[in-house]
Amino acid sequence: MIALLVAIAVPLAVGSALIAGDRLARPLGHTAAWCTAMVSVVVAGAAVVVAAVTRAHVDRPWVPQLGMRLHLEVDGVSAPLLVLAAVVTLLAVAVSARQRPQGTPGMFYGCLLVVLGGALAAFAVADVIAFFIAFEVVLVPMWVLIDRYGDPAAERRRAGWMFLLYTALGSMVMLAGLLVLVTSAGTSDMTRLAAGAAATLPFGIKMAAAVLLTVGLAVKVPLLGVHAWLPRAHTAAPTAGSMLLAGVLLKLGTYGFVRLVVLALPDAWRTLAPFVAIFAVAGIVVGGLVCLVERDLKRVVAVSSIAHMGFVMLALAAGQEIGLQAALYGNIAHGVISTLLFAVVGALKVRCGSIDLDAPMVGLRGRDPRLGFALVVGVAAALGLPGLAGFWGEFLALAAAWGAPHRPSTLFHVFTAVAALGAVLAAAYGLRILRAVWAGEAEAPRRTDTRAGATPSTVAGEHTTATSAHAEATFEPVSGVEGLAIGVLVVATIVLGLVPSLLMHVTAADLPRLLGGLS
Amino acid sequence: MGAHLAQTAIALPLIGAVLAFTLGRRNAVAYSLVNVATLAAWAAVLALVVTLATTPVTQHLATVGPLPLGRALEAPLELRVTDSGALVAAVALLVAACVQMFARWYLYSDPRYRSFAATVALFTGAMVLVVLSDDVLLTLVGWEVMGWCSYLLIGHENQQRGPRRAALKAFLVTRFADAPFVVALAALAMGAHTTRISDVVRFWAGDSGQPEHLRLVLVLGLVCGVLGKSAQLPFTDWLPDAMEGPTPASALIHAATMVAAGTVVLTQFDTLLAAEPMARLTLVVVAGATSVFAAFSAFCQPDLKRLLAWSTVSQVGLMLLGLGALTPGASPDAVLLHLVGHAFFKSLLFLLVGWLSVVVGSTLVSRMTGATRRLPRTFVPATLALFTMAGLPPTVAFISKDALLENAARAQAGGHVEGLVGFVLLALVVVGTAAYSARAWLILQHRTVLERRGERQVFTDSHTVRDVDIVEMLRTTPEVDEHGEDLDVVAEVEDDEVLPRPGMTTRIGLWALALGGIFGGLLAFTPLLNIDMHEMNWPMMGASVLLVLATGLVVRIMSLRQLYGDAARRLPKRLPLLAARSFGLERLSMTLVARPVLALARRAHAADRRLDAGSSALPALVARAGSSLDRAHGRRPSSGLAWVIVGVVLASVLGVTLW
Repeated sequence: MIALLVAIAVPLAVGSALIAGDRLARPLGHTAAWCTAMVSVVVAGAAVVVAAVTRAHVDRPWVPQLGMRLHLEVDGVSAPLLVLAAVVTLLAVAVSARQRPQGTPGMFYGCLLVVLGGALAAFAVADVIAFFIAFEVVLVPMWVLIDRYGDPAAERRRAGWMFLLYTALGSMVMLAGLLVLVTSAGTSDMTRLAAGAAATLPFGIKMAAAVLLTVGLAVKVPLLGVHAWLPRAHTAAPTAGSMLLAGVLLKLGTYGFVRLVVLALPDAWRTLAPFVAIFAVAGIVVGGLVCLVERDLKRVVAVSSIAHMGFVMLALAAGQEIGLQAALYGNIAHGVISTLLFAVVGALKVRCGSIDLDAPMVGLRGRDPRLGFALVVGVAAALGLPGLAGFWGEFLALAAAWGAPHRPSTLFHVFTAVAALGAVLAAAYGLRILRAVWAGEAEAPRRTDTRAGATPSTVAGEHTTATSAHAEATFEPVSGVEGLAIGVLVVATIVLGLVPSLLMHVTAADLPRLLGGLS
Repeated sequence: MGAHLAQTAIALPLIGAVLAFTLGRRNAVAYSLVNVATLAAWAAVLALVVTLATTPVTQHLATVGPLPLGRALEAPLELRVTDSGALVAAVALLVAACVQMFARWYLYSDPRYRSFAATVALFTGAMVLVVLSDDVLLTLVGWEVMGWCSYLLIGHENQQRGPRRAALKAFLVTRFADAPFVVALAALAMGAHTTRISDVVRFWAGDSGQPEHLRLVLVLGLVCGVLGKSAQLPFTDWLPDAMEGPTPASALIHAATMVAAGTVVLTQFDTLLAAEPMARLTLVVVAGATSVFAAFSAFCQPDLKRLLAWSTVSQVGLMLLGLGALTPGASPDAVLLHLVGHAFFKSLLFLLVGWLSVVVGSTLVSRMTGATRRLPRTFVPATLALFTMAGLPPTVAFISKDALLENAARAQAGGHVEGLVGFVLLALVVVGTAAYSARAWLILQHRTVLERRGERQVFTDSHTVRDVDIVEMLRTTPEVDEHGEDLDVVAEVEDDEVLPRPGMTTRIGLWALALGGIFGGLLAFTPLLNIDMHEMNWPMMGASVLLVLATGLVVRIMSLRQLYGDAARRLPKRLPLLAARSFGLERLSMTLVARPVLALARRAHAADRRLDAGSSALPALVARAGSSLDRAHGRRPSSGLAWVIVGVVLASVLGVTLW
């Protein structure tokens, strides 16, 4: 119980302190800020693990006058997400040791910590209003990360604004839905909602709440159509920011779906599910197609998230225990895989600049075999290769969608088939990435910033050889903390793929209870 | 004690792969790790085979534990060892061990030998998993991991454009064909509420209460995935292109693993196949057409390695054809026997061609001609392998082919139309196989090594090697005989001790494969395979032998007085050229699939860009609204503020007094 409070309070407190410390006359240096952040993330991470293992549970009055309670609860659904958030933040901090923030470090690491604290709070609280507040807490530091520490070449300011506007808009709609739900059901407690507190309401009210919640949360997942903020935010964000976006923020959206819609309003969800599934499947296909021709590597990885979240949402739409298992597994798997890919892409960006997939090749296999291996594992997992993390969520989503009960079965059969074809597109763009980045030998200088190739030369041939030699020399293989972080993600991807029962048993322990009499 | 043999056989290659990849700094270390692992796994499977041969029981074995998926789906993730499955696994591991040994020699100084060896080991483990799996999920894991390994192996030399492209194509084509396969497996499992294959088959073969035609559609989905993995029409094209990979990789992919996996999976589902005559007929027609077409294409190829590739397509087509033409309810073990035999002779042929290509420098017919005369120690194994491929008695292919023909004939007698179609196509394939085997043999042992003799004379006449480059050598070569002038034969005996050759153990492995091809037919008489060899149809066996011999004779006559002893030179000149380009299949698939998809992708991308541009106007809009509001307010506190203060005071006074 203490562990859970520590896990949430430490990052929030240290993060605020770091942000405030930036205003001092002599702000912290990079090393000091990094060490502080590292220590507090490690503390928070250890506390999270303890809380997740002991299934921490806090329930006491908070603001009795308003009937608000401090109700934190860790169960099979939230425990993996809590651990994932802590691990991803830890690795994001670790990776930043090499991929340093361009700006004051105190603010940067402070924001990372606040995101972590907010996300942990959002995953742990059992009160829907508190969930909303924690959710909103996460957005502001994320905006700062994009706006202040992003890539100026990627229009970071505009990306930050889009991120904020889209998600704030989604939040407002979600808040409206929450208020409808809470006022009509008479409770804001998630466990009571999941136990059927809203079951006796008139169907119209339930539908109204479900529609509002679905629209609001769809922005955060994101579903196709309201996804425009995601590629921009990912492209502009610093590596650590992208990792948090993929590994923490997107998880909040699907988590909200599970808690607020699927478990709390099961019959309204049954009606809505086919419509959500349409957007999910469209996201799989359109995301795959866009990735086939998009030229910027980081944007491809970002857009592929939409396709992956499509599988998660399809599984949620299918319902049943298998659907939820698939969705939750896919969620965690996407968190690990996407984080891995962003870490690798970030490492490449530091070394060779932005990568254009249609330009001459990088030849990573020859230059840095280890980073190349990490990329191969990441891409293979992203395209759903069995034996790696991505497969289980994907295949089980297909199976769940095919056998979804109480749904229009022909429609869901079509969804299954189309989603399977979308997975083929994933293979196509995955191999496109490997061909451009991993395979072969470096063909031309890749460094696009002004430092490289700055030596003017009259002879074109001489110029080329000189700069390519330069590029060859400047490609410093990943090592140290950065390499370790990427290695951890690679191992996690493989382990999640080889022994899926490990994680599934954690979730399965609570799912039947949560689903209750739900068919 | 014998309980964990199957798990060991799967785990050992995987462990070997991981260890070799992480610890194999030096090639020798990597080699010993993977080789020990593969051989140990082989020993485990052999022990399993022996156990099964004495006590024929099938057993269910747990792997990583069942998945908790609720009532809708039970996922035990178990293995099931059958005697035929264990046999196929044993052969796959034997071939893999030979390939590992050969690769050590073939890629001796390759800087990436370590990852090659690890990938081969991973590939082997995946194949054994598919063979022994009794779970839809495990089958898919092995199935796709093999696909991925083939991508890595074919693209081993991906600094060149050819392998890069071939690897991409191999993976994408098979993955595309897998989409219906995956959906079918998911649907079959969801229908039966279990992923255990034996239960799935039992459920769907009985009266499942599922909608009509659904089973047919699902079985066709399975067949589609198998056709893709086995490179049958319309997915044929990737396999000949996969020849860009290093030869040991080709031997592995073609002989005992990837392309054979489809047959293995279909035999696991054969009860379902038996229940759907339409699916069987489709399989017979498609696989039969592929097999005949591929045999013809093999005969035309101007490259011996590609000839072998097309022959693989043809042989796998033959297996699937045999599977489709079975009488419903009959045992599919004859197909597995052919698979085993094919694994022996095809891996041997690939490895020999790889060896010879190191000596002569290329796999083109023009270089390969007379190669076994230059390297006499390859003559006997090559001859044995080609005779096995042609199906001459007493080799394994002879026995398996006749068992397949016999099955088809029985099905025809039972009134099944697939039997009749299958029988005719089988007979055609027998002729085709004999034809290209004979052509390859005649080329390899061609006596009048005209061009090389010319080269050699120039070579020995010049003082130093530097004086003559290869172009000059060809130019000064006497014009060769298009007209077939009989030149006397020089004794082409080169001291083959100085020519490159693999090590002793590798050569023992090659001999083991050759002997396997010759004596593998004896397996049909063991209890491991359930083949009815008691009622042999002597007239039909005799007829098939005669057919093979007659074809061989015709090819021999065609090869007379031809350059390189190549019988295909009698064909119109355009055919070999077309055949080398796979008869335009690639262009067809590009036009029909790749281009439309890319065009669609461009549209989707443009639409996405528009959405992005549209919504990125949002911040500007908000900012403009904000600044216009900002302008509407003066910079100094206006009179409005005073009114606000008055209002607040009033409200609080009212509130306090009225409360």
